[in-house]
Amino acid sequence: MIIVKNLFKSFNGNSVLNNISVTFETGKTNLIIGRSGSGKTVLLKSIVGLHEVESGEIWYENTLFNKLNFTDKKEIRSEMGMLFQGSALFDSLTVEQNVRFPLDMFTDKSAEEKNERVNFCLNRVNILNANKLFPSELSGGMKKRVAIARAISLNPKYLFCDEPNSGLDPITAILIDELIKELTEEYSMTTIVNTHDMNSVIEIGEKIIFISDGVKCWEGNKNEILNSDCESLNDFVFANSLAKKLRPTNK
Amino acid sequence: MHSGFKIHVNGNTVNISNFDPLKFNIMIKFLTQFGLYSLLLKKVFSKPEKPSIYYRQTMRELVYLGLNSIGIVTIISFFMGAVITLQTAYNTENPIYPAYLIGLGCRDSIILEFSSTVAALILAGKVGSNIASEIGTMRVTEQIDALEIMGVNSASYLILPKIIATLLFNPILTLISIIVGIFGGWMAGTLSGVITSENFIYGIQYSFIPYYITYSIIKTIFFAFIITSVSAFQGYYVNGGSLEVGRASTKAVVFSSVLILLFNVILTQLLLS
Repeated sequence: MIIVKNLFKSFNGNSVLNNISVTFETGKTNLIIGRSGSGKTVLLKSIVGLHEVESGEIWYENTLFNKLNFTDKKEIRSEMGMLFQGSALFDSLTVEQNVRFPLDMFTDKSAEEKNERVNFCLNRVNILNANKLFPSELSGGMKKRVAIARAISLNPKYLFCDEPNSGLDPITAILIDELIKELTEEYSMTTIVNTHDMNSVIEIGEKIIFISDGVKCWEGNKNEILNSDCESLNDFVFANSLAKKLRPTNK
Repeated sequence: MHSGFKIHVNGNTVNISNFDPLKFNIMIKFLTQFGLYSLLLKKVFSKPEKPSIYYRQTMRELVYLGLNSIGIVTIISFFMGAVITLQTAYNTENPIYPAYLIGLGCRDSIILEFSSTVAALILAGKVGSNIASEIGTMRVTEQIDALEIMGVNSASYLILPKIIATLLFNPILTLISIIVGIFGGWMAGTLSGVITSENFIYGIQYSFIPYYITYSIIKTIFFAFIITSVSAFQGYYVNGGSLEVGRASTKAVVFSSVLILLFNVILTQLLLS
């Protein structure tokens, strides 16, 4: 479980996150949704410690993460996996080397055990016969899946995904969403997904928070989101003409 | 015209007459950059997570930054040696100068300045831009963030092997440059007929001071550190996209070159005075 309390963050005096408090539950796919520039990525990067926050608390179970120094943070970071918007695979390494990287860096397993784990992770995300390829030789969907394989290689307790569907076609996007949901349940991880894709919201949104201009405006799940009273959320959810047609008539 | 400005401290007004806002901003920028550079170096030289991985990375960098530079250093050294010989010959045609001075001039020019300083400037262009663009691209494509999330000290993992590789290999490049440069001088001198082979060889052996080689290698080590650390610094703090990576790459070459020239003066004074 990750608990965020009264988080404030600004850049050059401009407030980006304003008093955000939220609990992300274990074994669930927690979604942070909002318009582009609403502060989703800053919130996610603050939670994982890539941004220093001005005030507030970030708790990983019983550890106050944002007050730890670099060395102490390492222990919790070894339990994190993250999928970046652009996949962030290491260009100079092959698919297999990318997935093996965290194992090389943080475990003392034998080469054989590492190979076994790498193949298991790649099979789990349905990447077959691509071990020796470089990231530049992969499609967008494949890159995302390899990035997920790398993220789960150390059996993380926490999985963070920053817009996992960006740049993907709707079918591949759903496959990635399903994969994230399956892995979350399988490994009982605390998963946080940043997205503005409503398909993802409806598919995997077990817990959803909506952020607008750095403020948390709404919290609920995929069953409640279509019947919310939050005006800015409704503007977001029913933004396109198809969604407007499907909007409940009493709204 | 700067008329100065007034500050208020505990109700008292203090007039600062010679305040120049432009100089002040430049100083603040310099101090900020120097502070960031120092913090980066502190991160770079912290204890490595897994020495075996760093060893592997260092071997890789020895190939990319060292072995791959042999070609350009060899070609440029050969032609520079040739030109130095011809220039010395055509500018010392007076019969009171013995012919072997051409060989001596070629040797000393190459050992004292060319193989350390000029080769370092060339490497600042090749290796420096390579390092800045590689690390800068990793920054803008979030690969450095990915390393940080895993708990890897990204600065140390990416930069330390490059520094070690250049510190180890650049002195070898300097020695290659000295040998090839003198050989180029001999070839140009004898083929063009400005000096005989015997005179040239006598010249390069005449009054040889072995300390000059040490001096050249000490300078090379300093320059290798400047090229790698300054270029890595420019790449590591890139913010933006491909345009900024390009700018960082240019800055890496310019700042490295200026610092090499500055330290060349300082080191020459310290080591030869």
